Amino acid sequence: MNLKKFYTYFLLIALTSFLSSCFQVIEEITMKNDGTGDVVLTINLSQSKTKVASVMLLDSIQGYKVPSKAKIQQELNEAVAYLKKSEGISNVKSTSDFNNYIATISFSFKDVSNINNITKNILAQQKIKANNSSTYSYNKLTKTFSRKYQATGTAKTEFNKLKNQDKAVFNTATYTSIYRFESTVTNTSNPASNISKSKKAVMLKSSIMDLINGKVNVSNQIQLSK
Amino acid sequence: MKKILFAISLFLIYNLANAQDLVKKIPSNAFAVATIKGDNVFKLMFVKDFNESFLGKKLLTETSKSLDKEFTSIEDFGINLNKNMYYFNQLNDSITYNCFLIPLKDATKFEGLINNKNEKIRTVNGIKTIVLPDSTSIVKWNENTLYFVTGSIRSTFFADSAKSAKYGIKDIRYQNNYDVLTDSATILTDTTYITTTEPAVEDVAVPVVKEKVQKKASIKKSGKKKALNKKTAVKPKKNKKAAKIKAVEAEEASAMDELADGVAMAVDTASVDDQYDIYQKERAEQDAKKKQLAFVWMSAQADKIFNSEYESITNNKSYVSSLDDKAIAELWVSSLQDAYNSIAPEFGTYGKAGIMKGYGSLNAKLFMDKTSFRISTGLELAQEQADSYKKIMNRKLNKNFLKYVNSEKAIGFTSYSIDTKAYLEEFPKLLKQTYGSILGGKMDEEIDLGTDLFTLLLDEEAVSNVIKGDALLVVNGLTTKDVTYTTYDYDDDYNRKEVTKTKKETLPDFLFMFSSEDNRLINKLIKYGINKNYVSVDQNIYKIEEKKSPIDIYFMIKDGIVFFGNSLTEMQNIGNNQYKASISKEHKNLLSKNNFTMLFNSKNMVGKIPDDEMGGKENAEKLNSTLSKMGNLYIKSNPIKGNVVSGEISAEIPNGHENALKYLFSLIENATK
Repeated sequence: MNLKKFYTYFLLIALTSFLSSCFQVIEEITMKNDGTGDVVLTINLSQSKTKVASVMLLDSIQGYKVPSKAKIQQELNEAVAYLKKSEGISNVKSTSDFNNYIATISFSFKDVSNINNITKNILAQQKIKANNSSTYSYNKLTKTFSRKYQATGTAKTEFNKLKNQDKAVFNTATYTSIYRFESTVTNTSNPASNISKSKKAVMLKSSIMDLINGKVNVSNQIQLSK
Repeated sequence: MKKILFAISLFLIYNLANAQDLVKKIPSNAFAVATIKGDNVFKLMFVKDFNESFLGKKLLTETSKSLDKEFTSIEDFGINLNKNMYYFNQLNDSITYNCFLIPLKDATKFEGLINNKNEKIRTVNGIKTIVLPDSTSIVKWNENTLYFVTGSIRSTFFADSAKSAKYGIKDIRYQNNYDVLTDSATILTDTTYITTTEPAVEDVAVPVVKEKVQKKASIKKSGKKKALNKKTAVKPKKNKKAAKIKAVEAEEASAMDELADGVAMAVDTASVDDQYDIYQKERAEQDAKKKQLAFVWMSAQADKIFNSEYESITNNKSYVSSLDDKAIAELWVSSLQDAYNSIAPEFGTYGKAGIMKGYGSLNAKLFMDKTSFRISTGLELAQEQADSYKKIMNRKLNKNFLKYVNSEKAIGFTSYSIDTKAYLEEFPKLLKQTYGSILGGKMDEEIDLGTDLFTLLLDEEAVSNVIKGDALLVVNGLTTKDVTYTTYDYDDDYNRKEVTKTKKETLPDFLFMFSSEDNRLINKLIKYGINKNYVSVDQNIYKIEEKKSPIDIYFMIKDGIVFFGNSLTEMQNIGNNQYKASISKEHKNLLSKNNFTMLFNSKNMVGKIPDDEMGGKENAEKLNSTLSKMGNLYIKSNPIKGNVVSGEISAEIPNGHENALKYLFSLIENATK
């Protein structure tokens, strides 16, 4: 018996019965007082590595094409290449760990507003229509950092188009944003966000489901001490 | 004497009862018959219960609304719910009839359903008839029978001009302007019409005129032999005429050249538009004729059903043998081969291929009882094919497999058993039968050569010793294992630190086995695998070294069985003869008696999967409660009986439901809430 077919057959049984997986999306921004800073974006599928590894053995699952390792690496490289060309962006690096299924992209920016269109453009390059308007700004004079996020209906409607079993993939997925500063934080506008013990960092954790459904808003206005 | 009288009266009663069943009205040449057995349905569910169900209520309120009358029970429709309702299909080369035979209890109640008082009900000898608007269907009824027929003319029939001419019907085809432009002769005729200011109508008539000319010519040709003298006198005249026409054409052709192309084009498009209108009109006329013809045929067919005696389907052996008293619905198709052949002309070139050659009648039956839903299907094969299949299916599952099925834990299994040797021997024959006809007679020699080569190259006996042809896959339960993963902890500054945590993951324990008597080839493969580091070995248990695989896969060979599995302990137990399993009698029967089986026992899955793997406690509870209510689901193939291959799919209903039909209604009710 063809081993690949055998795997496929077996794994399909395993997968269709327990389809829900965990993954984390982490966005970290380290701001300096002069307005420059660093960004690290992480996608961690490690908690679902068994399932991901199984899925990677298949050509497609539930009608979706499963990208190969090479294809994923290539797309990551394309994102890096795009970032390198972007205005105000430097020091672009990426890592990928196909044993634990963790990928990161990191870079430095001259001004935090440089990153406003990046995500959108990267997604657009991958032909994913993203209408979420998320903008970052830092006012050196008032020492306020703000992130404005406008949940749009598109994500929700697109999501609702998915089959229930496909929606389940997002059930336990989380989105975490961490903003670190040189000065201490005096106030945050989003009650869901936490300030660290050192008062120099703010964290906001939410489930991706809530984000898609517009149940949580990740907008935040952070006031630093002057 | 009393006994004889009793017997006679019994016979009469039987006959009477039988005569009342509408099946007698279905002609023996019906192509397909579907039955809904009213008495069996309403044995499972009282009419009252149906009226109160979601579907019943919906049906009653909708009908009440649309007819502006009050209906409180489906009995108000006048249908006899305790008798069988039939649908049948009758077809020939020119028309397809779709017919319904419905038993009536109260014809006046039924008449109440006919909403439109303008509908003309004709009554002849107690048989009432209405024709539905646009004459596509006829409804006829008397005191106890309702008959509905709708017929459609088959387009392929009238594509044959000889046949259609018989009924005064023409096959109208639209000539588009490309034809006009490419055919220079037609262009010339066009211009002729323009110069003589003849109406463009003539344009369409061209082919007909041409035909007439040809016919005349051929008549003359045949006449020539009879009266040569006369013809010779006529001939020169004809030639002159022809010459004249040629001359005119030539003149016009040169005139055409001189004219601007644009003018010609404009003229053409104008005539094309006209042509299209005319085409539409003509087509509508022909369609009307076809419809009229269909109506005449339909009326005759409907009259026949009510007024004449004919051989009924009850004399059709294949139909009668397909019946089952207990079924609540049945479907029978007279012959797959005929079904295919009847629609084949519509497929064009491939139409002539007898893909379905050798496949006879098909039947499907639906059963519902106190414990389960069951659908069984059967397919009749031609003798030759049935013999092939019998040889192929002549193998039972290796009995030793059953030692490794644990019914108390098993979530599911699937098995198949065929005779590899017979399969390899019969395969070329089956191939030839199916594809030989597709390729047509031209390829016969090549196919013969190919099948001979296949037989020559393969040593069927040797192959069948390596893979006997039976296999079983069992999922004997679920095991939870600890899996490590990477996540993050955050310090006082929310700096992240990578940490490794463990979580429980559930994987099905599977065991796959197949019989093999000759292990030499497999052993060689293993040896090769070990040399190439694809396989490692420890105490006769082999492990596949596939780094990408999320699970470990082990295999071993023991007592003529090749085992594959993902649990090392299970493999070790098999090796040491310590494997503990007990198969239930039902599972044993299912596996050992059938060539193909599949079973899913959802109950054994309840509570076995950790909540967090099912997306939280709430989801897990929902899923577990659904799983615990579901019964066994299985599919099996039955042994070949006579020339019939058959199989069935069955789903047990959860406890606490009176029967499958009521359960089905409760499902519908829940779904709409």
